[in-house]
Amino acid sequence: MLDATTLEILTESAKYDVSCSSSGSKRVNRKGGLGNASVGGICHSFTPDGRCISLLKILMSNECAYDCEYCPNRRSSGVRRARITPDEICSLTVNFYKRNYIEGLFLSSAVFDTPNRTMELLTETVIRLRKVYNFNGYIHLKGIPHADEALVMKAARHVDRMSYNIELPSERSLKLLAPQKTKDSLILPMKKLQSALIYDRENKVKRGRILPAGQTTQMIVGASPESDGHILRLSEYLYRNIGLKRVYYSSYIPVVKSGLLPAEPAGLLREHRLYQADWLLRFYGFDVDELCGEGENLDADYDPKCAWALKNMQLFPVEINRAPLEMLLRVPGIGAKGAYRIISARKFSPLNFDDLAKMRIVLKRAKHFITCRGKFYGCEGNAARAALLLDEKSNFCGDEEDRQLSLFSSPSAALGALTGEL
Amino acid sequence: MKIYITDGSLESFYTAVFRAYREKDCIITSCADRQLSFDSVTENIAADGEMAGRVRAKLDRTDRYAAGDIDLALRSCSPLKEQTAFEYIRLLVQKNRPVRDMLSLPAVIEMTELIRKVTGEVHKMKGFLRFMETASGAMYAPYSPDNDITDLLAPHFKARMGSQKFAIHDIKRKKAALCDGHGWFMAQVGEAEVYLSEYEKAFECLWKRYYRSVNIKERPHEKQMKGYMPVRYWKFLPEKDGHDPRQ
Ligand code: SF4
Repeated sequence: MLDATTLEILTESAKYDVSCSSSGSKRVNRKGGLGNASVGGICHSFTPDGRCISLLKILMSNECAYDCEYCPNRRSSGVRRARITPDEICSLTVNFYKRNYIEGLFLSSAVFDTPNRTMELLTETVIRLRKVYNFNGYIHLKGIPHADEALVMKAARHVDRMSYNIELPSERSLKLLAPQKTKDSLILPMKKLQSALIYDRENKVKRGRILPAGQTTQMIVGASPESDGHILRLSEYLYRNIGLKRVYYSSYIPVVKSGLLPAEPAGLLREHRLYQADWLLRFYGFDVDELCGEGENLDADYDPKCAWALKNMQLFPVEINRAPLEMLLRVPGIGAKGAYRIISARKFSPLNFDDLAKMRIVLKRAKHFITCRGKFYGCEGNAARAALLLDEKSNFCGDEEDRQLSLFSSPSAALGALTGEL
Repeated sequence: MKIYITDGSLESFYTAVFRAYREKDCIITSCADRQLSFDSVTENIAADGEMAGRVRAKLDRTDRYAAGDIDLALRSCSPLKEQTAFEYIRLLVQKNRPVRDMLSLPAVIEMTELIRKVTGEVHKMKGFLRFMETASGAMYAPYSPDNDITDLLAPHFKARMGSQKFAIHDIKRKKAALCDGHGWFMAQVGEAEVYLSEYEKAFECLWKRYYRSVNIKERPHEKQMKGYMPVRYWKFLPEKDGHDPRQ
């Protein structure tokens, strides 16, 4: 059996990858097999940093031939090294799964030997897990830049999701901080995978469909000088042109001392704002141009929806009993779930302010932007601003309704996104 | 005031609804030890197939999903669950149509809340339930949920465990879902004697080690951890040093 120290080294090395989601796939169990996947994703535990554990997140090896400046596993660093075999990974996954500790495996690796050799072993592992261990639970596999396309495609037929982490949001920063990676070595495989995925979907391929849960990526925020506006434009491109399922943002923590990197962590607020803006792009019908100029950062004082509303006060207040869904979604404080609740309840009788409160619509922020049967309950202009600012301050210190929007959100936060009272 | 006390079964509840329906001021409950006021009269309601059937039939005609909702709501640990469901039925009959979208009416709000708590706990337990491997190779999961959800949880695990034998044991309610590798059924189970497999401790240790290593110490957020994973569930989670008292 695997020894605990090896597990520790390879877990410590994998933990900064923030994606842990197990959602998006409905793989079914086969006869004699173990496991299936649950579309909504399932959290199995939470660590003291508030993050969800859904998958066994582990590196096959942390021995790396590359030398990315920000990475504790880079070639020139002096960390403890370890490697595990495909069989050890398979057995650990199956045994954790059977005990319901996890929903599946998130397998990644540093680039040992060559990119192809690494990708080969990763591919062998996932195929073994499916075919020999008969495992039908969730598998998320990290793509290795510069590995052969054929290998990548082969692996993709056996896993639920893949990710190539962009990490640095511009070609320039990549050159400086991750010299062996190029934009193309990350973006091209994503595009290839996506077109194969679309082909399978359109041709209704049933067995061995490529990546049923799609692709994701991650960017480090604050290690390099790119603005929020720049980052969000890249995200919008990844969502709308490549069709990614999720972009994760990881606020920079200095784990490595380097003259090329900032000495200070980027802070959680910036990351939090990026996630909020990201939800607005995906679920609330916003375009990036409405939220943030190209070279600008998001407003630190207000959440992005609130900041947008304050700049567009001519559109408010909206009448809760008449406003179309698209507009309800744009009211600060009303989340998607709240908006849908309002739409269905108002069919039966006009809603007044108390009705909304009873329906658990959070009105602290919303009241400044709505009328109920013609009546306004908020404050105008500057008084509203002051109240919103105060509310925002108390919110970031860990208010329930905003929790689900932070980096440490869970797979269920994908659902949470739909319920998040933005 | 009249108080109808059910035996906790669905049929007894529907019987009580039949009896109580025309009374203005009455309460239905399964908690016999409820605080009684001076002028209250209690009556124990035994299930009556005929009366229950008539209520069910009326319900099904009005909204064919209502019975399912009521089944969910009555699994709640809330002492007011029967009363809430009763008022929901009254509203259904009065409106003579489905009411679940009338989200500003108190009866609907309360009913929705009960159901949300029950299905919410089912979802949580899909993640937080922990199995141990017994010496015979079967998997055993003791737990103590707030609501009566074991038979709602079992199909989820049946679907993924394949031909694996397993048991999900609600310690508090002394019942268990037992799966022999083919089908599953519910049974009364008080105490279970469990001998663990020789590997069990080792995997539990690996899991605890994993849990410790994957945490980012530099970013503590205990409040959020407890918000998502309430402390009362910890006693069955090895990573939280919880364990089954009988081990
Ligand atoms: S490729 Fe770069 S980021 Fe990945 S393990 Fe190697 S050094 Fe770290």
